[in-house]
Amino acid sequence: MISLQNVTKVYRNGVTALEDVSIEIEKGEFVFVVGPSGSGKSTTLRLLLREEEPTSGQVYVAGKNVVRLSTLGGIPKLRRNIGCVFQDFKLLQDKTVFENVSFALEVIGKPKHVIDGRVPEILDYVGLGEKLNNYPDELSGGEQQRVSIARACVNRPLVLLADEPTGNLDPNTSVDIMRLLDKVNKIGTTVVMATHDQAIVDAMRKRVIELDRGKLIRDQSRGVYS
Amino acid sequence: MRRIEFYFRETAAGIRRNGIMAFAAISTAFIALFLFGLALLIAREISLVIEQVTGNVEVAVYLSDPVKPEILGQLQQRLQELPAVDSVTYEDKAAACQRARELFKSNPAIIENVSCDVYPASLRITLKDTSQYEQIPAALSCTTGADGKVSCQEPGVLEVRDYRDILDRLSAITRVLRNGVLAVALIMLGSATVLIANTLRMGMFARRKEIGIMRLVGATNWRIRVPFLIEGLVEALVGAGLAIVTLFLGKVFLVDQLRTQVLWIPLIRNSDVLAIAPLILVAAGGVAIVAGTIGIRRFLDV
Repeated sequence: MISLQNVTKVYRNGVTALEDVSIEIEKGEFVFVVGPSGSGKSTTLRLLLREEEPTSGQVYVAGKNVVRLSTLGGIPKLRRNIGCVFQDFKLLQDKTVFENVSFALEVIGKPKHVIDGRVPEILDYVGLGEKLNNYPDELSGGEQQRVSIARACVNRPLVLLADEPTGNLDPNTSVDIMRLLDKVNKIGTTVVMATHDQAIVDAMRKRVIELDRGKLIRDQSRGVYS
Repeated sequence: MRRIEFYFRETAAGIRRNGIMAFAAISTAFIALFLFGLALLIAREISLVIEQVTGNVEVAVYLSDPVKPEILGQLQQRLQELPAVDSVTYEDKAAACQRARELFKSNPAIIENVSCDVYPASLRITLKDTSQYEQIPAALSCTTGADGKVSCQEPGVLEVRDYRDILDRLSAITRVLRNGVLAVALIMLGSATVLIANTLRMGMFARRKEIGIMRLVGATNWRIRVPFLIEGLVEALVGAGLAIVTLFLGKVFLVDQLRTQVLWIPLIRNSDVLAIAPLILVAAGGVAIVAGTIGIRRFLDV
């Protein structure tokens, strides 16, 4: 599903974010990417989304070489197959829960009957079936992250990328969010999660990829944080 | 349908959120397009005056009474053969009288007291090349008298009158007026373009979070940009609409007031205002296209 082959990324300011990293992730896997700040976790996710291009090496997502995609059609199509969740939720404050999720379908041109069918369904799935008409500032942090997960999953992506999804949440809420991500993973979505959260990584016992200063230093199935 | 609805909803939201900037952009577009239309109407008005005064004729060869058909035919042919001459038309006494009465419509005293008989028939000539005027008096063996009057030996010819001077002066005035107003209009169109571009850019900045999410979930570039392009077009077209309405009202309340007071000058009509409306709309479209291209350039990357 995801393949990084000898990927090096040097930013324009001369910082080497990744150095000769190769990773293979199969369909349906749940993978933690761990490491200190500046180790290259976020760069890895940005490469998969084709927000950055590798300086050298190849990146494949869902069988496509993302470096070769065109900005006109290829990149948007790639991103429709990838859901994204962030530490800061990135919800639109002037839209309701329903509108935040339906926005993701609307802007890729999905017809109204699809939107009206899928949005309540996915919000029910993440446990917010009762809060369709609330605004983000009326929700707790955990609920907001659920909305953002619903938005990421409403178009049924093949891959879910999560960048520190529990970074702003207390431990109990974090556990709830991890349960939800696990549930999303169980229905076949490949999940790649960058995190600092040692407790969560240790509790989940999933595959762990550890980066340090841009180098892959550990790739362990059913691993722990360190 | 759904897509169009989406575009218009986003556009309306954008204009509402960006109210003051949109207002500034619309007013500048309005002023620019108003001046643009004004320049066109001034040009039209002056050309109406020129047409009325001279009938666009550059040289008139007045004929002595009575006009003999064989001499007329001969003269017409000879003038037509001159390389400088573009066209020769014959105006008989009745037509000359008719034209004079039209000209003095507002002054019934002149019409009543002057008999139609005094207006001479003439051959009215337009020139291919106005600098070659001398060919005409030369061909008719005319001489310029001390009083500036051109009298001629040619049988049947009374006088040759040169209107080039008046025409030149009138068209010089037209040029200066029209070009002056057009220059101001162009500068204003430039500012309108910059303002609209800026409005679009501020709109994009205000909605950078939405745009970021749109990119993330795989919206295409055009899906993101089209609402902004429509916003620019709407602003330019609203300005154009206001400009057309204002020109029309100006025509009704200012020009039509004059109509009862200065009868001897032909004034622009509703149809003239109507004729420049498409040009104003085209200019507005041009402004919107340029503004859109400048405004969204920074957001070209996915």
